Amino acid sequence: MASTQLIPSALRAAPVVTLAFLVGWAVLDVSAIGDGRWAAGLLAVLGIGAAAVILSVVLRWRGIRPVGLVAIGASYIGAHAFVLGVQLVSALVFLSFLISQAELRILAERFAPLFEAALPPGERSRIHSALGRAVLRLIIAAVLSVVVPILAADLAVAGIVPATTIPTAIALAGALVAVVALLALMPSLSRRAA
Amino acid sequence: MRTPLSSGLAAASLGLLVAGLAFRSWQVVLLALPPVIVLALGSLFPPARPRLVAVRTLSRDRAEAGRDVDVKLVVRNDGPTLDLVEIVDVLPREFEVVHGTNHAVVSLERGGTMPMSYTVRSPVKGDFRIGPVRVRSLDPLALGAEDAVLPTDARLVVAPTMEDLRRTKLQPRRTRPWFGQVSSRQLGEGTDFWGVREYTAGDEVRRINWKASARLDRLYTNEYEGERSGDVVIVVDARRESFIGTETDNPIEHSVRAALGIAEHVLASKNRVGLIVQREVLDWVPPAFGRKQLYRILDHLTRVRPGGEWPFAHVAWVLTRFFPRDCLIVLISPLQDRAALNAVIAMEARGYDVAIVSPSPLAIEWRLGEQRPEDQTALRILRMERDNLVSQLRRVAQVVDWDPATPLALALRRIGTWPRPS
Repeated sequence: MASTQLIPSALRAAPVVTLAFLVGWAVLDVSAIGDGRWAAGLLAVLGIGAAAVILSVVLRWRGIRPVGLVAIGASYIGAHAFVLGVQLVSALVFLSFLISQAELRILAERFAPLFEAALPPGERSRIHSALGRAVLRLIIAAVLSVVVPILAADLAVAGIVPATTIPTAIALAGALVAVVALLALMPSLSRRAA
Repeated sequence: MRTPLSSGLAAASLGLLVAGLAFRSWQVVLLALPPVIVLALGSLFPPARPRLVAVRTLSRDRAEAGRDVDVKLVVRNDGPTLDLVEIVDVLPREFEVVHGTNHAVVSLERGGTMPMSYTVRSPVKGDFRIGPVRVRSLDPLALGAEDAVLPTDARLVVAPTMEDLRRTKLQPRRTRPWFGQVSSRQLGEGTDFWGVREYTAGDEVRRINWKASARLDRLYTNEYEGERSGDVVIVVDARRESFIGTETDNPIEHSVRAALGIAEHVLASKNRVGLIVQREVLDWVPPAFGRKQLYRILDHLTRVRPGGEWPFAHVAWVLTRFFPRDCLIVLISPLQDRAALNAVIAMEARGYDVAIVSPSPLAIEWRLGEQRPEDQTALRILRMERDNLVSQLRRVAQVVDWDPATPLALALRRIGTWPRPS
């Protein structure tokens, strides 16, 4: 009985806790900026982001939620890119948490109502296993999204990939654009093939 | 189908890439990788197109409002294995799921089945369709989805609850030459004693009044009051303007409940009952006897929804052309406009007997409102207006001003026999 109440509560709390953690982290980093104008500007962006996320929950206005997340991410990255200097590992972890927050919210919206309803044990165990698979994939994605860029950076720093040349930058940009375009077009291509 | 999250991740990745190149920061360029990695992982396991079959069974296909109905849904996967599939059995918005859930998110292997069972309850009457079943195959990172609709509909008729009027005296004043249970104030076949007369050849022996015969030394026969039946036409005002309150607590729902109770009671007394409903169309059922007629009336009342603006003049027109002249008209209306007064006067002038049951919209509004002191003043003014209309109507017809929070039988019993004998 305790687990039936614990799982939906944990699911509903997870995105909120993650968001609070991200906002706290961003506030700490932005307030470490010595220049008052930069700090004030970035704190304003952060405040707008947090307000947008809270309003989206209170007013059930889903349209402004992405604006809030983008503003929180932009204030953190802006603080590091313009003033503090980018610390790659912590920036990757921050970004990974930001993506995970969106994923956790979707999982919570999908699964929490199911665990709150009175269900037969068979149905409940199947929903349990589906949730387990989804969480596992999310953890793998979060870990890979931190580890792979660090490996890429290590390769570049070790000199295996010449990272500082213009042809490398152009090739990297071209490859990324191609990957994103491919990923964007894949659903419609696969539908046409089917 | 791409989800907004996948589009957002692609946009974030491109934005970070462009920003990194613009500021010549390789660290920012590397930050473009995490969204791409999540997108790539999502694309490795794209959601398969769902090919499912659903079978639904209901514990009953007719139920009274407020009664529980069990639904069993079995979904079978005839297509490829679905990593994560969301199944929703679409219910009418009036329905409330009281046990279990009509929604599931599971994994379904090829040939696998997913049984779902839940209990629904509808607080309002209606002819409802349960279904279709909507299915969405998802990738676990919520980056893509494939939708399907399984056309599995089931019909559930929810009948209105019935007012219990068994102990109420409710009968038409004028009778027709058919046997029934209404005293006709004429000699005939019946059980109520009328008088005695001299015996004539052919009189039944069991009708001879032996006491009177012994006393007067001649044979006398008992006479009885004939019991006949009459016609009652119930007019339900379900116009848009009569709708005040919530879906379950509004004058139209209460009118339907009252109409069904009256129809059941009058039909049980072997009278004919007809029905006219003012809704989006002017709907009517010609008068008839018996259980079948009750089901016919129930069927029409189940479909009543607020709508339309048919004036009472049209009801009068239908009455004069399609219904007998000497019937009792029971008008069930919240009396929201004064047109009712003119209509009732016109009907009385044409020779109809009219009785009115009026579910009070003021009582409903007051219950649902915040009941502030200024509302009390407004209520008092509105009540005066309503009392004025009711007292004007009482000059030509008998009116029952009914607070739907109390049983109709109680409101009818307060005024004795209804309608009043002339």
